[in-house]
Amino acid sequence: MTMLFMHETHKVIGRYAERFEELCRRELMGALASSDDTRLLWYFNHAMGSGPAYQVVTITGVAGGGAWETLTRRMISGDLGDLVAELDSCRYAVQGKLLVPVPWSALQDVRLGEVPTDGREHDLSIFMQDTGWPDAPLDDYIEMWDTEYWQHMRQTPPDRRLLDVQACFRVSHGTGVRPEAILLQKVVNTSILGGLLTRAEKPDPTTWPGSYMHRSLDVRDQWESKLLRTSRWSPLF
Amino acid sequence: MLFLHETHSVVGRADEQFEAAYRDGWLPALAAGSDARLLWYFELAHGTGLSYRVVTVTGVEDGAAWARLADRVADGDLRSWARHRDGLQHSSASRVLTALPWSPEVGSLSAVPVDPVDHAPVLYMEDTMWPFPGKIRSYIEAAGAIYRKALQAPDSQMHMSIELALQTLPGAGRYPEVTLLQKLSDLPPLIRLLTNDTPPEVVAPGSWMHEALELRDQWQSRILRSAPWSPLP
Repeated sequence: MTMLFMHETHKVIGRYAERFEELCRRELMGALASSDDTRLLWYFNHAMGSGPAYQVVTITGVAGGGAWETLTRRMISGDLGDLVAELDSCRYAVQGKLLVPVPWSALQDVRLGEVPTDGREHDLSIFMQDTGWPDAPLDDYIEMWDTEYWQHMRQTPPDRRLLDVQACFRVSHGTGVRPEAILLQKVVNTSILGGLLTRAEKPDPTTWPGSYMHRSLDVRDQWESKLLRTSRWSPLF
Repeated sequence: MLFLHETHSVVGRADEQFEAAYRDGWLPALAAGSDARLLWYFELAHGTGLSYRVVTVTGVEDGAAWARLADRVADGDLRSWARHRDGLQHSSASRVLTALPWSPEVGSLSAVPVDPVDHAPVLYMEDTMWPFPGKIRSYIEAAGAIYRKALQAPDSQMHMSIELALQTLPGAGRYPEVTLLQKLSDLPPLIRLLTNDTPPEVVAPGSWMHEALELRDQWQSRILRSAPWSPLP
């Protein structure tokens, strides 16, 4: 059974942002945990100053298509209906898609029963979420990310590494945009992130990562990076 | 039953190949099993919106059936078909929907034709609404109690019937979102709607147009024309 990652981008009403987060922390996380098949995995705030205001990203682990349908029935007409209505009153809209890991993704599965559900606190983490839209066949794009990006990234010495590519997803058929693929990458060195933001010169196309930037233009030139910061209580971080 | 709704931005030069990919590829591939069927193949009517837009609606038995279909597309027998389709469209935007409690039913998947049929094209008005925060339940209830009944009334101005009333499922598109697929049985009322101001009584206090503003004020209408071979006309 393929595990699904329910990825939701919430456009939150600013004055209700704290209420929205509290509902997710105090009620939604526990309600999802009442089933063995669903867990809230990540709760991210879009880092202020790097994109839209009051945008939250959540990723919920779901044990397959049947479990997802059961969850949606709970949300629209079952025991989660009132909670969803309250969440709805705190946001303008939510955009969801169901993601599945690509074959080479480091993350393939999550043991849902081992995911914390008690809201325990930890340091903040920041992730770079890259969403790409190729103009080549989707499979070719995903393969390029493997050979030209991830494998090089893994070989980069730790002290020079910006990102830990934790997962690569494709959008499951019928639940979003095609062609689209997503990288979920943990920022492991904020000093290097600062260098990335301030460096003006073009990367050298004869050496990596410049060679990746150059060759990947064969398959895409449109993507979006989002800097997402986990909340202190996000189950995974 | 769940409904997989896709809007395709088709490569103009490849529009006939795109249609053939669905008629000769997707339709029979789904017919080989029992838990998914292509229901409708629509083109956005020329002159009413974006060019080369196709809407397909595929019915799947349930969430598990959807997941099996998604696996076939990702890694199974439909992977090469999907790759072929990628070359015929710029992109597609998809969502999975479920019927509202008061929606008419499309019947059993087993009764859906699996060979290309031949019928006259049929026009539909597809309305997609985005209720205000926290208002989706009230909107669904009111749309069923007031709007649907108004369409069914003998003196209805629009000569239109709701074939399906749907909402997008959490995690598979935008939420809250409601879509009505409405079959037009007569063209002159549509032309009147397009070429005249809205009659005052239609927007007066007490009317659906007026009262529903408490629940939503943003929607999008699209005029869709079913292909002559679309399994459901």
